[in-house]
Amino acid sequence: MKGARLHPLVVMALLLGAGVMLAPMVWTLLLSFKSNAALMADSGAAFSGPYTLENYAAILKGSLTLQWLANSLIVATGATVGVLVLSSLAGYGFARLEFPFRRTLFVIVLLGLAVPEQAVILPRHQLFAMLGLHNSYPGLILPSLTGSFGVFFMTQYFRAIPKELDEAALLDGASRFTLFWKVLLPLTFPAQATLGVFTFLAAWNDYWWPLISATTSDRFTLTVGLASAQMNYAQTSGLGFLMAQAVFASIPILVVYIAFQKQIVRAMAGTAVR
Amino acid sequence: MSGLELIDVSKSYGATPVLERVSLSVLPREFIAFLGPSGSGKSTLLRIIAGLETADSGEVWLDGERIDTRSPGARGIAMVFQHYALYPHMTVRENMAFGLRNAGVARDEITRRIAQAADILEIAEQLDKKPGQMSGGQRQRVAIGRAIIKQPRLFLLDEPLSNLDAALRGRTRVELAQLRTRVDAALIMVTHDQAEAMTLADRIVILDDCCIQQVGTPAEVYARPANAFVARFVGSPPMAMLPATIAGEEAGRVCVRLAEGTVLATAVPAGELVAGTEVEVGLRPEHVRLAAPGEAGLAAQVELVERLGDRTFLYAKLEGGAEIIALEPGFGTVRPGDAVTLAIDAPCAHVFTASGAAHHPEPRA
Repeated sequence: MKGARLHPLVVMALLLGAGVMLAPMVWTLLLSFKSNAALMADSGAAFSGPYTLENYAAILKGSLTLQWLANSLIVATGATVGVLVLSSLAGYGFARLEFPFRRTLFVIVLLGLAVPEQAVILPRHQLFAMLGLHNSYPGLILPSLTGSFGVFFMTQYFRAIPKELDEAALLDGASRFTLFWKVLLPLTFPAQATLGVFTFLAAWNDYWWPLISATTSDRFTLTVGLASAQMNYAQTSGLGFLMAQAVFASIPILVVYIAFQKQIVRAMAGTAVR
Repeated sequence: MSGLELIDVSKSYGATPVLERVSLSVLPREFIAFLGPSGSGKSTLLRIIAGLETADSGEVWLDGERIDTRSPGARGIAMVFQHYALYPHMTVRENMAFGLRNAGVARDEITRRIAQAADILEIAEQLDKKPGQMSGGQRQRVAIGRAIIKQPRLFLLDEPLSNLDAALRGRTRVELAQLRTRVDAALIMVTHDQAEAMTLADRIVILDDCCIQQVGTPAEVYARPANAFVARFVGSPPMAMLPATIAGEEAGRVCVRLAEGTVLATAVPAGELVAGTEVEVGLRPEHVRLAAPGEAGLAAQVELVERLGDRTFLYAKLEGGAEIIALEPGFGTVRPGDAVTLAIDAPCAHVFTASGAAHHPEPRA
């Protein structure tokens, strides 16, 4: 496809599609720069000046948005680090170590892929309430670590690494841990990046569990916080402020996308595991 | 007891035996080739020596120490893998240093040894490259360098030339021959390429059917194969095996009657071979040639002509249906389909009994 010219009709269709996708974002961005008063008078005022930064100033000054952003960052980072560590260790174990019931355990892991979150949400809620984990960071992070996908993904990736490398390292006098840490783990970085990005995005965008677990507003993640603000914007915050919150909230995720776009595209194309 | 000693090594995968009571002695600084067809157990034997597989029974000793109870890294062995097995994320320098670091060798010493190995193998320019940036031949050298640098007591080479193209293979073969003069260790190479084994090894160990079939110098396994399998396996093209019957003896040497009736007076001592015994007569191509005009010989029809420039092999079928291979010097003029008469150097013929046991001709005076 490299160097091939696209048909003008295809280009038009792509531009149209891109326009449809971008329009709400541009509208959101424009609304965020309008004063609430102006928008109360005319919701179409977004397309003409004057524009203002007062909504962003309000976020930085008084609102809980920064707290929610920090909560989301802590929860998403904690989930990502936890999933990467657990999945790498478990993946290495399933792919390379011999231990009793290895196959059976792996089948159980695979079965975990088939269990929807909805099926376990009630017992999980009860368990966390019993352990006093609601309204805490561990309470928000721990459920992400129980997913089977990462273990399955990393197991497949470790399996694809030639065993000759293990053997060469063993003959080089490497211990099992040195072999894992210095030889195999660095080779899984592409898979780690892909899994990390997906886990981070999933944790960042998760709405349901934080809605159940975080009931005090200072423990809200951005998704829950923004949703709670939407419910009462007419009375308090106003449309401009709400849109500024949305734009503000999307900045970290935008950074993740830009930094890891190669891994995301590769994962989407299904070529992460060679 | 210096050198390598294998004592009654056996291994099976489930119900399938791979090695049965294999014993072998390798002298210090000796170059040994394990040669055999696929599935003969040669790679398994190499991996047992390296510690990458565990034998079901038997012992492995190196320089007077039992090593089969030790981990692979503690055996004093270095191995060059078939696919090199270089760590892709490390530079050449890091690849070479990895084993020494694990062994706790001082940094200065590591640097010195890397420089020395790089110099010998002419890879000094490549030290900061990663394996992915190198050609197959260069990777092969790095793999050898990684092995040399450990100053092992035993080198294991698992089909070291099989991934190289024909030109590079020839060059690397020479380099491997030079390697042995530079290292103070025995070398064992697994190969299915007999040209490699014949040109490089001091002794060849031929494996088949879970057992060692013969251990001998290249000349021995070629000229005096231990059994019919070795006779068929060693030599390119292989020895032709013609069905025959012992016709009698003449001056203590057997005469054999080929299926189409011709009697050959061999130089094989009669011994236990009695008249009427069904045998196979083994003939190397160099002992079968086109008969001169008027010379008696075996009538045959040429089926395939293999011209190699300096010599030509004629694959022909005798009247009885047996296949025979003749050697003709130069480019030759015979074509497939030609009817020819083949003269046989009968005193060079070998005789194999039904059990595969070999009876060789007595050397000419």
